[in-house]
Amino acid sequence: MMCGHAKEWIAASWTGELDAAQELRLQQHLEICPACAAEMAQLSALWEKLGDLPSAEPSAALAVRWEATLESLGAARPNARAKPWRFTLAALWPQRQVWQVAIALACLVAGLVVGSLRNGAGNSEIATLREEVASTKAMVALSLLRQQSATERLRGVDYSVRLPGMEPEVVAALLEAVNHDSNVNVRLAAIDALAKASGSAQVRSSITQSLPQQESPMVQVALIDYMVDAKDHTAVGTLKQFSARADLNPSVRQRADQAMQQLTEYR
Amino acid sequence: MTSVARGNLASMSEIYQHRHRTLFRFFFRLTGRQTTAEDLVHDVFLRMIRYRHTYQLEAGPAGDGFEAWMYRIARNAFADQAKKHRLEAPADDHVFEVLEGGRPSAFEQFSKKQELDLLHRAMRELPEDKRELIVLSRFQGLTYEQIGNILGCETGTAKVRVFRAVKEMGRIYNELVQEKAS
Repeated sequence: MMCGHAKEWIAASWTGELDAAQELRLQQHLEICPACAAEMAQLSALWEKLGDLPSAEPSAALAVRWEATLESLGAARPNARAKPWRFTLAALWPQRQVWQVAIALACLVAGLVVGSLRNGAGNSEIATLREEVASTKAMVALSLLRQQSATERLRGVDYSVRLPGMEPEVVAALLEAVNHDSNVNVRLAAIDALAKASGSAQVRSSITQSLPQQESPMVQVALIDYMVDAKDHTAVGTLKQFSARADLNPSVRQRADQAMQQLTEYR
Repeated sequence: MTSVARGNLASMSEIYQHRHRTLFRFFFRLTGRQTTAEDLVHDVFLRMIRYRHTYQLEAGPAGDGFEAWMYRIARNAFADQAKKHRLEAPADDHVFEVLEGGRPSAFEQFSKKQELDLLHRAMRELPEDKRELIVLSRFQGLTYEQIGNILGCETGTAKVRVFRAVKEMGRIYNELVQEKAS
């Protein structure tokens, strides 16, 4: 056996695709070829080690997403491949050219009339479809935000950022995460995600109310930054009280004082 | 799939149930990212619907035609995704979590974790085509004949290419071990 052939057989031995006779021939070659024997030993050990690499499982959100997609596709085109119309029309199509031209002109006129009448209805159907898709995405984001794993919740926050708009349920879930999530990273990500909703006075107020409740300096700074970015000058009072707290981290106090100054300038 | 090809999209649900985990693991091994792997799985099933008419043409009589067809779509989806995100940073180490088995000592746990970290790094540093070969042969449990069908090469060529990929990974792994020791 040539060494080149041995490589094929070594690879086949890893996946159990060698029969007894081939196994024997490979062994005979390895006994007389120290290079192949060394290679076999080293690479087979690596092949075994690869089995220790952990895998992962898809999240429940993937199934939700797929079912929603499949449902929308199934409803949209149940018989996409069926083409009975071509044959029916072909059978009905007149042979005389004058009739063919007359039908074509009639279709054109009818199409223009119906098209102009139905224009508004078509737009509303597309708008409804868009709303449904956005709603499905929001559902996925909410589902992820309620997961036990912090990684899944982070993905939920990330998903909510990618939504075209922010539904009230998603905003509420993100505010809930800011106030009560046990994981600091989730809270920070939720604060960032809420930047899209900073136009809402209610969201700004919730963020301001959240500040005194937070214990993590990183979250405190992120909330203060949010207030400055949102130019929420109504937060100055809360910041003043917050900055006066004796147990406050010096860096956070400095940031709070700086924010007060910035927000006062915005007034 | 033949039923789907005839226009019955409801059958796709069954195919999804049977195959989505396999596809997810394939993409997770390739990308190391849960979200990316899930996005790719979703993309593959959408492509299966979009290109369902190609199934009859491409599926072979051997019975594993669906497998090859599915992986060909998966490889295209991965290639398109890789083109789009060529500049994206590689997966962080924390993405790969080490599963705990039994109750080994703290030292054993530490050395095992180090070994797995090095294996992950070696996998990541491997060129994409070679990583794919290892994933298909070692983790997806495909035979060399199936791999040959997917890649469009002879079974013998698939064996040699897998051998070379493992050898390349071994070289990278040894370099990383030496780097760690020094």
